[in-house]
Amino acid sequence: MEWANDKSKGGVLAHLERLETQMSRSCKNLEDPPRETAESDLGTKIHKLRCLRDKLRAEVKQRQARIKASTANAEPDQTLEISEQEAVGGKEENMKAILQAYRFTGLSGKRTSRGVCVCISTAFEGNLLDSYFVDLVIQKPLRIHHHSVPVFIPLEEISAKYLQTNIQHFLFCLCEYLNAYAGRKYQADQLQRDFAAFLAGPLQRNSLCNLLSFTYKVEPQGRSFPFCARLLYKDLTTTLPTDVTITYQGTDASSTSWEEQRASHENLFFTKPLHQVFTSFARNGER
Amino acid sequence: MDARRAEVRALEAEIAALRRACEEPRTPGEDTSRARKSLQEIHQSDSGEWAASKDLRGHLGHLESELLFLSTLTGINIINYSMKTEDLTSTENTEKSIKKVLQRHRLSGNCHMITFQLEFQILEIQNKESLSSVITDLNIIMEPTEYSELSEFVSRAEDRRDLLMFFRSLHFFVEWCEYRKCTFEHFKEKYSEAVRLPEGAASSCMVVQSPRQPGFELVIVWRIQIDEEGKVLPKLDLLTKVPQQALELDKNRVLETAPLGFRALLGVLGIEAALESLITSLCVGENH
Repeated sequence: MEWANDKSKGGVLAHLERLETQMSRSCKNLEDPPRETAESDLGTKIHKLRCLRDKLRAEVKQRQARIKASTANAEPDQTLEISEQEAVGGKEENMKAILQAYRFTGLSGKRTSRGVCVCISTAFEGNLLDSYFVDLVIQKPLRIHHHSVPVFIPLEEISAKYLQTNIQHFLFCLCEYLNAYAGRKYQADQLQRDFAAFLAGPLQRNSLCNLLSFTYKVEPQGRSFPFCARLLYKDLTTTLPTDVTITYQGTDASSTSWEEQRASHENLFFTKPLHQVFTSFARNGER
Repeated sequence: MDARRAEVRALEAEIAALRRACEEPRTPGEDTSRARKSLQEIHQSDSGEWAASKDLRGHLGHLESELLFLSTLTGINIINYSMKTEDLTSTENTEKSIKKVLQRHRLSGNCHMITFQLEFQILEIQNKESLSSVITDLNIIMEPTEYSELSEFVSRAEDRRDLLMFFRSLHFFVEWCEYRKCTFEHFKEKYSEAVRLPEGAASSCMVVQSPRQPGFELVIVWRIQIDEEGKVLPKLDLLTKVPQQALELDKNRVLETAPLGFRALLGVLGIEAALESLITSLCVGENH
């Protein structure tokens, strides 16, 4: 999607640079007067500004109309007495709150002296999980000053592909990897924590949580652990496995019901999160 | 010239003040008076007391720029946010050093032309080992509701309480809608005689008609779908409308296989080039 990429490249990075220069000017400076010398350019600009101003005036009027009537009795003169300090303080609170709220979109952050520190939040099925940060230095080339991304996430690869051309894409991609990792880790942790009775020994996993192996049973009261599972998540941006191998290692190898169970388990592991598969085993066992 | 430059400056200052006024929850009357005040300050020269509020507004400017950065980055513009907390810790919990807090969040904003209002609850449970945060309820209200693809997506997000996916997919969905609109408008402008947008540029269909043979029509339907995992995908289809006579002459069954051929073309050329080649093939010999 070339078009959108170009827009973001121009949008986010250029935006940052613009904000950078704006911040170094003092507050009271207006924007430089337009450099266009052509009459018609100036005319169009005035026209556009007038339209925008009218639109904003209408918005302000609308806002005022929406506010509760109970305050309408206040004398107009009284409003001028509210100190600038208080008014600005209230606005500051609101803005700070909104900045905090951005974590619910998955990406939040703050300006630093070098550039910007972006915070990536992760979640899985409504569970809010760890967040990670990436501290970016606004220079040419853009670089990562430091970060809290785990070493087994392919950060170098992702930044080599996208960081210089499209910050937004870089961050979204990283977000995908981190969220998927957090989701896989959550499933493995839940399995270990809530269904240890169904496992023969601890769950074996790698740091990326994309290769899991365990031996399990489906009846809590059973003595043996007839099934052996190996789950591989080749696609690091997903929370469901790409390869599932279930082997039956019980002594009753000839019975067809074991084969049926084995096959149905494989299907379950492909389609449901790990800990939910065991929840359904537990529920079936109770019947 | 000078008078016009002055007008531009005055307009820009008023717009900045109006924008600030739009962002605050204020009692009536205050808006216009504070807009006036800000305008006055802008034209004032340096003064001692003003320097102090300058720092505060410098800080505000800092916050403003952070917000602007985030809304550009995520594509989501959050306008209002508030949270209330309720302590649900029972005495039994306290004995076991377990703390339970229920947070009620309210968030509203927009993603381009789509506005949303969210209300969700997060239950935080703190025990000796860990802190868990779970979204226990999610309600989403969206406007406008003419994007039918969105209502199914919204229900799914609510059911799964997947806030992050909601925002991510919404952003990409809107980007694709904008891209589709731009593409349709581009072709309408370039081939104004052949291309028609019967439901407008923001809709999902574009009709291509050969000006010389008005009985022949190609309808391109471009839907934007959000799948189970929240991935946003464009889905394009080609429908053909031809006179009965043409159908009878079509021995090679080109028309029947056209939709499939279009899909293949999309895969090879990409959306814009495929549409362009389709339009030009129908309008061969036309002067643009």
